[in-house]
Amino acid sequence: MFIRFFYKLKEVGIPVTPTSFLTLQKALQKGLILSLDEFYTSARAILVKSERYFDLYDQVFAFYFEGIPLPENDGFEVDEIAKAMLDEWLKNPRELANALGVDESELKNLTPEELIEYFKKRLKDQDGQHHGGHKWIGTGGTSPVGHSGYHPGGMRVGGESRNKSAVKVANERRYKDYSTTGPLTEANMAEALKRLRNMTPVGPKDQINIDDTIKATMRNGGEIELLFDRSLRDRLKVMLVIDNGGWSMDPYISMVQTLFDYARSQFKEIKTYFFHNTIYDYVWEDSARYRKPVKVDDFIKADPDTRFIIIGDASMAPYELMAQDGTIHISERSGKPSIERLQFIQDTFPNSVWLNPVSERMWGYTHTIAAISQIFPMYELSLDGLEKAVETLMAKN
Amino acid sequence: MTDITNSDNHFSGANKYILDSELASIVNISMALEMPLLLKGEPGTGKTMLAYAISESLGMPLIVLNVKSSMKLIEALYQYDTLTRLNDSRFGDSTRDVSNIEEYIKMGKIGQAFCADKRTVLLIDEIDKADTDFQDDMLDVLDQMQFDIIETDKVISAKQRPVIIITSNAKKDLSDPFLGRCNFHHIAFPDPKMMRKVIGVHFPDIDKKLAQGAIDAFFGMRNIEGIEKKPATRELINWIRALDADSDFHAKDIVKGKIPYLGVLFKKSPDYQRAKDAVSRRRLF
Repeated sequence: MFIRFFYKLKEVGIPVTPTSFLTLQKALQKGLILSLDEFYTSARAILVKSERYFDLYDQVFAFYFEGIPLPENDGFEVDEIAKAMLDEWLKNPRELANALGVDESELKNLTPEELIEYFKKRLKDQDGQHHGGHKWIGTGGTSPVGHSGYHPGGMRVGGESRNKSAVKVANERRYKDYSTTGPLTEANMAEALKRLRNMTPVGPKDQINIDDTIKATMRNGGEIELLFDRSLRDRLKVMLVIDNGGWSMDPYISMVQTLFDYARSQFKEIKTYFFHNTIYDYVWEDSARYRKPVKVDDFIKADPDTRFIIIGDASMAPYELMAQDGTIHISERSGKPSIERLQFIQDTFPNSVWLNPVSERMWGYTHTIAAISQIFPMYELSLDGLEKAVETLMAKN
Repeated sequence: MTDITNSDNHFSGANKYILDSELASIVNISMALEMPLLLKGEPGTGKTMLAYAISESLGMPLIVLNVKSSMKLIEALYQYDTLTRLNDSRFGDSTRDVSNIEEYIKMGKIGQAFCADKRTVLLIDEIDKADTDFQDDMLDVLDQMQFDIIETDKVISAKQRPVIIITSNAKKDLSDPFLGRCNFHHIAFPDPKMMRKVIGVHFPDIDKKLAQGAIDAFFGMRNIEGIEKKPATRELINWIRALDADSDFHAKDIVKGKIPYLGVLFKKSPDYQRAKDAVSRRRLF
């Protein structure tokens, strides 16, 4: 029963499973569902496992049982793509207008709802797949929407992985606004420090300390007293790598250093290095970036468990990041583009993050930020960002 | 409300819990299908309270397992009390039989629910705190309704399948195998009409005007922009309690836009500040 209903749900992109469908059948057979209302709630509880699909479920339900046509059955994905396009439009109207081959001012007159409708229409106009052009949405093209194309500033709007990725995109966007706090200041240093506290791995008190137990038992005249220790987990090693070139970073350098200095006792060791704009072959131990160079290649000898934290605005000319001889200092040129260096570091230290004092809202405008955040998990240098960064750093691999 | 009766294993709400018919039928069908019910929703929508309400109205004992991040599944099942046994073997002055391991096995919350003679309500609160392994392993146990005690090589199977309610605050979804094994419901934040009923249940003889004014103001303040933690039902109840207790406060003040005790509603200082600004600026809700 209701097999078509089940497939319709699947078709519009709700992840329904056969097992849950069988459960529903069981419920029907047992006579637990007696009215359409009950069917509506029960089938939803059994089949749909996330509130994100409730709206879609409602639409399918209305379609199946009451014949209300599915609103332009675009499915979830098209909806999401259209939303993503709207976001892109808000960030960069001209580019999107160009990509769609229409006049920017024409689109400007539309309300967001109308825009979404318009985008959807364009998406549907597109017959079949489209790859490698520069106007339509497909793959490998230069349009800002679509995926795996050249346009690092653009966004992925779902490709091979189909529904799931669109859902993930939607999910991420929805909570995007949650971190509204501005950049870190001296004033909220204490709060920030609290966030760092979570960077101590402590085991439970579950290891018997034999020596102390024997001593305590002797002192008790033979009555057994067991003493426990926290199981040994080594404190963390931290590498702090700071971009101290350029005025944009100046307000943050001393603050970040003070921050980690205060927290020093909870770490096994903190090493601080400096770089300018991005990392090439060397980083420096002295802030003048002159006397004590350290080879990036030597990082491979460090403990891979080290938490590697980069603080920088990740904003520079694209060639500095991408080109083989990108560095502005001639002495550093070795033929490897900086982006490869960054990837090497990320591979060496799986627990690494990039903290960026630039407000997250602005990241979309800078090409290099997008490129670097593909490599390192990037967070805003704000309380929220710091909290998330610590969470990432402490995540189990 | 559907026409369900309170008598035989049908749940229709409890003393201090306002239940909508949708949730009632979901609870009932989950009980009938013997599947755990996973509840999600904003804090303060009464996820946890639901389990208390079920246990109260159906007269089943309630067992609460508060999930902690460091929790291991075994703690929820049983514990082997080695220390007491060691102590007993040393002194032998207890009534327990040291050679009998079973005397030293203590049931955890899930174990208790399984061993109970009566059908129980098992509330697994805030499952999202634990890691995914814990979640999946636990669902295996709940699916099969049995687990092994390694020390005694004994299988504990449930005498009565407990009614299992699981709550989660997580914004992200739980793992697929987990979701596959339970029914799901998302409790939306109550609308003003529902909220009036909730307040009516908690304060049966409150001044109607005060309640109405407070609820309106409450929903107004939930909409203040940029609030990080919106006040929830719990805060509203406490706030009304505070307003009610203040003899200098009159119901008509609130209509005029006088909103005292903001600290009851907003517990984060930036939120508090923002709410205070909004209230003093607009004087209207």
